[in-house]
Amino acid sequence: MRPTLSQAVARLILLPGLAISIATLVKGYGDAGDGFAAGVIAALTLLVQYVAFGYREAERRIPGLRRLPVAAVAGLARALAVALVPAARGDAILTHWPPPGDSPVRLGTLELVSAVLFDVGVFLVVLGVVTGAVGAIARAAERAGGRA
Amino acid sequence: MLRLLPAIIALGAFAAILAGWAAGGGAVEAAWAPSWGLELSFELDGLGALYGLLATGIGFPVFAYAARYLPLHLDHQGRSHREEWRFFGLLLLFMVSMVGLVTARDLILLFVFWDLTAVSSYFLIGYDRQEAEARSSALMALLVTGVTAVLLLAAILLLWAEYGTFSLPELAARARPGALVTGAGVLVAIAGLAKSAQVPFHFWLPRAMAAPTPVSAYLHSAAMVAAGVFLLARFYPLLALSGLVLDLLLAAGLASIAIGGVLALTCDRLKQVLAYSTISQYGYVATMYGLGGGKSVAAAAFYVLSHALAKSALFLTAGAVTEATGEDRLSRLGGLARSMPALAVGSGLAAAGLAALPLTIGFFKDELFFAASFDDSWPAAVAAVAAAGLTFAYIGRFWLRIFAGRRRSDAVRLPPLLTAPVAVLGLAVLLGGAFAPPFGDLAAAAARASAGAVPPIEPAYHLDARAENLMALAAYATGILLLAAPWLWRRPAAWVASTGARLGPERAYTVGLAGLNRFSDAIHEIEVRDLRSRIAAVLVPGGALAVAGLAATPTAGAYRAGTLSTDDLALVLTLAVVALAAIGTAAPRHHLTLLLSVAGVGFGLAVVYALLGGPDVALVAVLVETVAALVFLGVFALVPRDVLRRMEAIPTPRRRRWRDPAIGIFAGAVVFFVVWGALSRPSPAAAIADEHVRLAPQAHAKDVVTAILADFRGLDTLGEITVIAVALVGVTTLLARGRLR
Repeated sequence: MRPTLSQAVARLILLPGLAISIATLVKGYGDAGDGFAAGVIAALTLLVQYVAFGYREAERRIPGLRRLPVAAVAGLARALAVALVPAARGDAILTHWPPPGDSPVRLGTLELVSAVLFDVGVFLVVLGVVTGAVGAIARAAERAGGRA
Repeated sequence: MLRLLPAIIALGAFAAILAGWAAGGGAVEAAWAPSWGLELSFELDGLGALYGLLATGIGFPVFAYAARYLPLHLDHQGRSHREEWRFFGLLLLFMVSMVGLVTARDLILLFVFWDLTAVSSYFLIGYDRQEAEARSSALMALLVTGVTAVLLLAAILLLWAEYGTFSLPELAARARPGALVTGAGVLVAIAGLAKSAQVPFHFWLPRAMAAPTPVSAYLHSAAMVAAGVFLLARFYPLLALSGLVLDLLLAAGLASIAIGGVLALTCDRLKQVLAYSTISQYGYVATMYGLGGGKSVAAAAFYVLSHALAKSALFLTAGAVTEATGEDRLSRLGGLARSMPALAVGSGLAAAGLAALPLTIGFFKDELFFAASFDDSWPAAVAAVAAAGLTFAYIGRFWLRIFAGRRRSDAVRLPPLLTAPVAVLGLAVLLGGAFAPPFGDLAAAAARASAGAVPPIEPAYHLDARAENLMALAAYATGILLLAAPWLWRRPAAWVASTGARLGPERAYTVGLAGLNRFSDAIHEIEVRDLRSRIAAVLVPGGALAVAGLAATPTAGAYRAGTLSTDDLALVLTLAVVALAAIGTAAPRHHLTLLLSVAGVGFGLAVVYALLGGPDVALVAVLVETVAALVFLGVFALVPRDVLRRMEAIPTPRRRRWRDPAIGIFAGAVVFFVVWGALSRPSPAAAIADEHVRLAPQAHAKDVVTAILADFRGLDTLGEITVIAVALVGVTTLLARGRLR
């Protein structure tokens, strides 16, 4: 069977879409975009795969897609950890590192601050929830015997 | 054996608290939300040690008992043994929240643990969830203790508003007698009395006997109900500032002693007798706090200690007897002493403790009680003797009816784990009678935490004609008389029981709950009839409120129109497109067209954000709009096409033709004026935004929106992503278990 136009586009868009999403995420603290936007971009890219290939084929093509809802749990755990670690050190929860005034550690043009870690948690939750919900709907629709 | 793990945990916690207390107590602090003056601050003072040792020390035998009792219980009901873990998890949660409650120094923290005990007790009382009675009893306990818990929160916030601290020691130092402290004291007293099942909130406790026996033995002797009087003890420095509050406690306590005692005398079901007895016994404690003064407070602390030991043993006895014979009524039991001697002796010691016989710890509880009331006034002394006589009578009746007299039912052999805990607790009661000073020291330390300087408690036997001894003899005589001549009290007691059932507070609860249900059903009916009514139910009252607000605000200068320049042309044009698209959404009947026009509004607004210089917001708006449109598309794809076509063909009913547009226009106009008014003045919101922009570099951010999401408002974000993750759990569960069509 020859790939349809949508499948060709989906294949083309996959890696650039994920790359843009990651860029939005890591640069979020210095530029437009944040973990939420990055999560939605990544989820949309994956949604296109679902729509173009159907969920079975999409999950076969992209290893780990099926397990992605676990990312929601991991993201929540990560955000909670960022929030609670300062409490263990005697600060208020969600006190970010480095404190105001200190200059953050730089990695090229990236600045390492704990708020970005928190944002990564948000990213994971959004990504996991959107793909998880769509996957669940697709499975339910197939069970019901309809188009998915 | 894994089932004994909870008991071992309880024993370990008991040892830890005991060691901590022996080492002189101590405090733990951790920041919680320092900008609100909240901290996770715990302190093991005398009061915390007393109640903490009770919660863990009684927890140990009760959990051990439950390890054997629960499998039997589940077998009787044909339930899976896997449900045990829910039970032990909840029991442990309850124990932890109890220990947290009694050691919390911060009032908000105290409130959180207070509610945690109510929540876990709800699940424990309703553990037999297949039974309607258990469910409604659990709800009743939750409502009575949960609604009054809100009063506690109100009192805490009142005190905070006046004195600016959530710390009890600081409050006690700053508070002065006055209307505010009296008001807060009344609220605290109500919360405490409701939790301790005092009149007029007592009715939930006998109902809560629907719980499995270990729950009753634990929650309704040493923990849940004890938390109520613990609250009174904790707040005593504030409560004592107002005579009114103390009188309230005195009145509720005396009423509880009388009503609980009389009903305990008439009840037939084993656990009901004990429930009413608990009401009556905590009535003693409330009464002593009501009498006030160091001596009474010390007596109250000692009373809680000795009562909890005896009562938990008696609850466990009731469960064991029912397990052995299958009977739960006094009238069908009797003569069991020969077939279960260990249980008879253990529960006999506990009953003797409750009846305040010499050589048990109970003797001293009554001695202290007599001394406190004798010091107060002669009516108090007479009431004390009558109350002790009543206790002697009902607990004597309880024990004698089960273990003495003619044998009325067969009994199977009990496993040792159902008997040993009763024996252990019974021996503890006896031990307290023989070596009372350590118990007295603990109670005195607890009382010092409540009332400052307190005379030391020196329990000892004095063989002379002092007032306490004479009062004890009078109480025994009264009790024996009541036991020997039931015709004296049978008819008046029955009258009290029937009147209480007819006119008592439980009836008010039932009627009130039914009324609330009807009201809620009526609102629900309006709200959910269809989607349009539901939206109208939000828009119309909301709009009316906003109109009232607008009408009350002065209009001078409230609505200013700015100026337009040619630079704004693009913005104006985009807005015009958005407005047209928004009006256009009202027209199409085809679902796909409708979806596209709604999406058009959203994308237009995203352009507006971009033009106004908010790339972050614009980005998110585009993304959200795309996802929403895709989700709608997906839903439409799931609905069969003929259903969609049929829906499109349904004509709008005549009365709707004007109603729905009118509601929409009204709501739109209200929002227009609200937004116009808000934009016309330099608002505090703008000042906050400026502050965010100013602070963003300090948070190492060049993007203000991200800084707000991840840093300034990080807690909000955390809450939001939690909600999103929970929604995923809901969606997947529903879709996995349910059917789509």
